[in-house]
Amino acid sequence: MQELNNLLPNLMRRLPEFWKACGDTLLMEVWAGSICYVLGLIFGIILTVTKPGGIMENRPVYQVLDKIINLFRSIPFIILLTALMPAIYVRGVIVPLVFGATPFFSRQIESALAQTDKGLIEAALSMGSSPFEVIFRVYLRESLAPIIRAITITAISLLGLTAMAGAVGAGGLGDFAIRYGHDRNMIDITWVTVIVLVLGVSLVQWLGEFFARKNTH
Amino acid sequence: MIELENIVKNFNSDKNNKAIHAVNDVSLTINDGEIYGIIGFSGAGKSTLVRCINLLERPDSGHVRIDGVEMTELKPHDLYKARTKIGMIFQQFNLMPSRTVFQNVAYPLKGMTRDEVRKRVQSLLKLVEISDKENAYPSELSGGQKQRVAIARALANDPKILLCDEATSALDPQTTGSILQLLKDLNKMLGLTIVVITHEMEVVKNICRKAAVMDAGRIIESGDVFTIFSNPQHEVTKNFVRTTSNLSKIEALIRDDSPMVKLKPGELMARLVYVHADVSEPLISYASRAFDIEINIILADVEIVAGSMVGGTVVIFNGEREKINRAIDYYKSKNIRVEVIQDAGA
Repeated sequence: MQELNNLLPNLMRRLPEFWKACGDTLLMEVWAGSICYVLGLIFGIILTVTKPGGIMENRPVYQVLDKIINLFRSIPFIILLTALMPAIYVRGVIVPLVFGATPFFSRQIESALAQTDKGLIEAALSMGSSPFEVIFRVYLRESLAPIIRAITITAISLLGLTAMAGAVGAGGLGDFAIRYGHDRNMIDITWVTVIVLVLGVSLVQWLGEFFARKNTH
Repeated sequence: MIELENIVKNFNSDKNNKAIHAVNDVSLTINDGEIYGIIGFSGAGKSTLVRCINLLERPDSGHVRIDGVEMTELKPHDLYKARTKIGMIFQQFNLMPSRTVFQNVAYPLKGMTRDEVRKRVQSLLKLVEISDKENAYPSELSGGQKQRVAIARALANDPKILLCDEATSALDPQTTGSILQLLKDLNKMLGLTIVVITHEMEVVKNICRKAAVMDAGRIIESGDVFTIFSNPQHEVTKNFVRTTSNLSKIEALIRDDSPMVKLKPGELMARLVYVHADVSEPLISYASRAFDIEINIILADVEIVAGSMVGGTVVIFNGEREKINRAIDYYKSKNIRVEVIQDAGA
């Protein structure tokens, strides 16, 4: 304990605040992630089935959704953050986080589903599957591994976004690192924050790879 | 019965906005219990045509009737139901890689209890003789085994029709043989109507009684396999016959100036092609004796197509020109086509 106090003097003095920052980051990640995964999955599926040659081809729907996603993907996150944050602190930052990550995740899902062999779709249709069955029993099931990888990548990039959100006072580890590590030059806090984030990223990556592999035959 | 009437299907090419006639006014009737071949080189439109039967491709115009039911007018839900009675297998097998053999075959089964599904899948796997692979994943199977599983899956809902889209084109000749045999057996056992799309003459010769030849979106010849291939009318059909016949090697021999085909003065080289179903007489030795000439067989290729012989020989006649001509007339009277290839003069 004494050694930790010597090694990380600034951190040890702010331990409760540090734990709270970790919890806030986790909270942002889980809430924004959940909403973003549900929306992104739906948008990704809609893009896939309505695109030209898709099983529910629909030009207007595809074009509109495609353009909206491109629009939000091209707005820098820091601008989204300031424009869309209805309230400061964790709950307020969920909105810009969702807007920032969902277009990215939708594209990831679109490209995951695009890897599905066209022949499988054709075979399923020839066996009498309806388009909805094809979505759930072929697209989602057969691209489970790439979908898991998309979830992993998005979780990691979302973690980066939550840190950025810290800069505008959203709380969490990013905020913690900036306020103490950067502004007051407390090197030990910067280091520990980085290490915690690296561990978080590694854990997510490892879990993702584990489940993706389990679903590859 | 499958009736296709004036089917037209166009695709828009992106390049110059010109429509490509994939299928151009095709009419075709396939009777119950038939094994019907549709042969054509790639790009002839045969895959598109077969997809018009189960409406994976919706024709731009024309009628698709199966047992009198107009498929193009079915509501989506009825169409899905109708498709369960039309099995289809593919060149690339199209098994779902994340599912085991059992799960693949169970995919199209609906409204059954767990136990019924198990029984049904097991009996299907037994039918195609691959019961031991029930729990394997497709990636662990050979091509022939994959196609067997695909056949079991296509038959899951007791279809009356099986569409085969280049089903043996990715298989080696031996495996092709065993799959074709299986299709023949299924046709006999279940009374299954089978439509075979292929670019391989061998496949049509092996299992089809009736066939159509497709080129550039149209059917250029159709009828029973023997008639089409013993006496091809169209250049494309002739090409197909040539791909499997040894007799075309003679042109290569002549081009290479092989000593085998060097004619002595007075000799005449001709191709004798059997166009009739009964080649039982000893035509060569009879003519040789009756007209007192020598007939030297250079190449011979006689095959069984749809239960009858088809093919012919390349021979060199040697003797007096008068006698040779009489022999040729004799052959023509026996319905044998005589094509003179080279003549060294009288």
